[in-house]
Amino acid sequence: MQSRAGFLLGSLSGLTVVAKNADFFGRALAQAPLSGPTGPTDNNVLVLINLQGGNDGLNCVVPYSMPQYYKYRPTLGIAQGDVLRLNDQVGLNPGMKSFKAMFDKGQVAVIQGVGYPKPDHSHFRSQEIWQTADPEGYSSTGWLGRYLDAAKLPKDNLFNAVAVSPVLPEVFGARTVDVPALDGNLRGYGLTSDRKAGGAAAFRSMLSDTTQPFNSPYLGKVAEIEANAQRGSEELPKLVAGYKTDAQYPNSNLARSLALAAQMVGSQLGTRIIYVTHGSFDTHTSQKGTQDRLLEQFSDAVSAFYADLAAHGNDKRVLTLTFSEFGRRVAENASRGTDHGEAAPVFMLGGNVKGGVYGNHPSLDDLDNGDVKYTTDFRSVYATVIEKWLGRSSQGIIAGNFPSLPIIAA
Amino acid sequence: MLATTSGSFRPAGSLDAGSALLPYRGAWNARRAAHLLRRAGFGGSPVEVSAFAAMSMDGAVDRLIHFPDTSQLPAGPQLGEDEPRKVLRAMAMMAAAPGQPAPALTTDQIKAIGKAHFDNSVAMMQWWIGRMIATPAPLQEKMTLFWHGHFTTAYEGKGITASDIVTQNQLYRSYALGNIRKLTLAVSHDPAMLKYLDNRANRSQHPNENYARELMELFTLGIGNYTEQDVRESARAFTGYTLDADDQFVFNPRQHDDGSKTFLGQTGNFTGDDIVNIIFQQPAAAQFFARELLEYFVYSDPEPQLVDAIAWQLKKNYFDLTPVMSVLLRSNVFYSDRAYRALVKSPTEFVVGSYKLFSLPPSDIDQPVLGAMTRMGQRLFYPPNVKGWDGGAAWINSGTLLTRENLASTLCANPQMMQTATWLTQGASLDPKTLSSHIVTQVLQDDISPALRVQLDAYLNGAGTSALGMLSGENFDERIRGAVYLAMATPAYQLS
Repeated sequence: MQSRAGFLLGSLSGLTVVAKNADFFGRALAQAPLSGPTGPTDNNVLVLINLQGGNDGLNCVVPYSMPQYYKYRPTLGIAQGDVLRLNDQVGLNPGMKSFKAMFDKGQVAVIQGVGYPKPDHSHFRSQEIWQTADPEGYSSTGWLGRYLDAAKLPKDNLFNAVAVSPVLPEVFGARTVDVPALDGNLRGYGLTSDRKAGGAAAFRSMLSDTTQPFNSPYLGKVAEIEANAQRGSEELPKLVAGYKTDAQYPNSNLARSLALAAQMVGSQLGTRIIYVTHGSFDTHTSQKGTQDRLLEQFSDAVSAFYADLAAHGNDKRVLTLTFSEFGRRVAENASRGTDHGEAAPVFMLGGNVKGGVYGNHPSLDDLDNGDVKYTTDFRSVYATVIEKWLGRSSQGIIAGNFPSLPIIAA
Repeated sequence: MLATTSGSFRPAGSLDAGSALLPYRGAWNARRAAHLLRRAGFGGSPVEVSAFAAMSMDGAVDRLIHFPDTSQLPAGPQLGEDEPRKVLRAMAMMAAAPGQPAPALTTDQIKAIGKAHFDNSVAMMQWWIGRMIATPAPLQEKMTLFWHGHFTTAYEGKGITASDIVTQNQLYRSYALGNIRKLTLAVSHDPAMLKYLDNRANRSQHPNENYARELMELFTLGIGNYTEQDVRESARAFTGYTLDADDQFVFNPRQHDDGSKTFLGQTGNFTGDDIVNIIFQQPAAAQFFARELLEYFVYSDPEPQLVDAIAWQLKKNYFDLTPVMSVLLRSNVFYSDRAYRALVKSPTEFVVGSYKLFSLPPSDIDQPVLGAMTRMGQRLFYPPNVKGWDGGAAWINSGTLLTRENLASTLCANPQMMQTATWLTQGASLDPKTLSSHIVTQVLQDDISPALRVQLDAYLNGAGTSALGMLSGENFDERIRGAVYLAMATPAYQLS
């Protein structure tokens, strides 16, 4: 398969290039979606942005038309004149100017009031719920891990999915698929000195040998990741090195992560899912400065990312979805902050998204013990992504029956 | 809650519950002594391993459990002022007139505040890691690390100063194997914790539930053992637990809600201390700490019968840890094959253990080492969140394993290493088989697959190089460094 694809392309476009670089171009070609099952969604990429810590939904998508909002938020309320209006009911945080520009171009869907029944107020449990899509049980796999298990993407591609994160997130917990976790600038992703002289490489190639004189439950995992790390780290920098861009990214960790994402998308690695994080949004005290800055960073990074993608003709191939473990309590606390709450908006942008504001904004008159009640189940959002964007049935991936939302154009 | 990324990492085989906690009477040798030193410390140098192997098992455990005097170690790091207003005052850059709002900070001012903070974080890490390496009481530092990951607090935001963090760290050290209930009371009065989980802003008119919730969910009981109503009621009990102008704990009766509360089935005009005491009456508390201790010291996902047995030990000893750990570290289950190499070394264990392996001086812990620890997933004093570090499978991914290997490579290139690690040359040989055997014993306690051992011999003998590449006095230094690096890249070295 691999050599055939390399040969075919080689004979069309001049043999010498392929022959000289057979090793890594050959693999790159094999990893391009050419070899997978063909279908209209096979080139589509999902970028998942985790807004960690609990992003305050009410000061992100501001219900400026609701008087109760200002009653509950005497110091934190964002004045009507400062809100970046999306319609006559809600508008964006004033830090999100570049994001508003994308909304105005029809590239952003705002889904209001997303959550789940019996919401949990713990960061960890609620993160786990959002990442596993399992509010009632304790699933050991993540919703995207289950997608990867089901999708049967090319096995020898180490980059079907990538987490730009120091620790592998639960969303990629899978039965059969191993997802590399790496940092945004690839620093440290590779061996600085392999001490190759005389036989070190042969030794290293056998590190995955599990016939050890001890029987650790972690042995298989360490050996497998060791082998993947070695191969992946040798290949990834070469695979993305050819990507040229004039895009100007702002100086933030999120921007660096997204710049790498654009590089991976543009290098035809066959990568389908990229996970990045931003935060911390856990604003129990002095919320305003922190949240406004984080949202501005988010907005500027995403805007630069799509400019980069568009310059390479990839913007329609990449759908971005945001989530956060919860919104925050409607009433501000005494420390000019907000405590853990429940439902909040999520953003879907890029790709074939039909821009606009979706769902109903939760009522501020009918609260659940001080929190807004959800109006859209988050599993409907995930089902939409799996069915309309990644091109699979969500059965077996998202438990229960959650209808897709009409947000992504066919 | 377990890390759920890849299911259970409970060892294969079954637990013999009847004899699990009975004293181990099997063979005592360097392999078992090294196991004890890895678990109850950060790994021993070859000299320490031999010394512990020469004792009896009981003697070795006694030596670890009864901490020797550590007063010769530096009690704390040298800290600079990091409170932003004081940093600026020291720089004479405070422009605001009294009573006027402070002007927006300039870039230089922001940089100065950031630098003060960063310098302190480095000083604290160097101090603590240095202690872990040099201490004659490794279990004291291991427990301090356990509590740091358990009652965790980050040196980040919320007005938390370096001295708050050092005070908290010393609290954990003073309670290392002390009473868990009393430690929990002390944590509830600890300035760093009162800031980190916002209890200092918890007032009767505006309850802040952050501390009350995490106290039960992450610190003592675990989810499912209390209700949302219990969270609200206990938050009321903790109102008024705040800080005075000098950032010391104070109980402020005017901010305290002294009304009646109903908490976990009991009703009274409870304070926060009452809440802690009620929590420790719950069977779930003993279960919770038993599981934590087993996961940290024995193996992942311990069987319910084993958890019950340790929970009973905790209850019997009123949550005093010394007698409980004394039973655990002498037990059959602790020395069983199922527990052997059954945990993943944390980055801290990897670094401290490697420094001890080479007897490198703690003063060597510098920015490259600290940066590597961050990339391995453990920046001390900066836990990822209030749950602390997940550990186990979460330590292992492509990025973290590569960083471990790169750090091993850096350490093996250290010019001092051949002098400080005397075992490298003592008992070394120019015969590749003898030399590889020596390395594999000292670095891995012989935990290497037969195939890898053959490859290591081949490497030492210059496989793949010219005839001149055979092991000789000329290339001995370079070759032995390379072979030790390769041994540190094996799976066994990642496991405890």
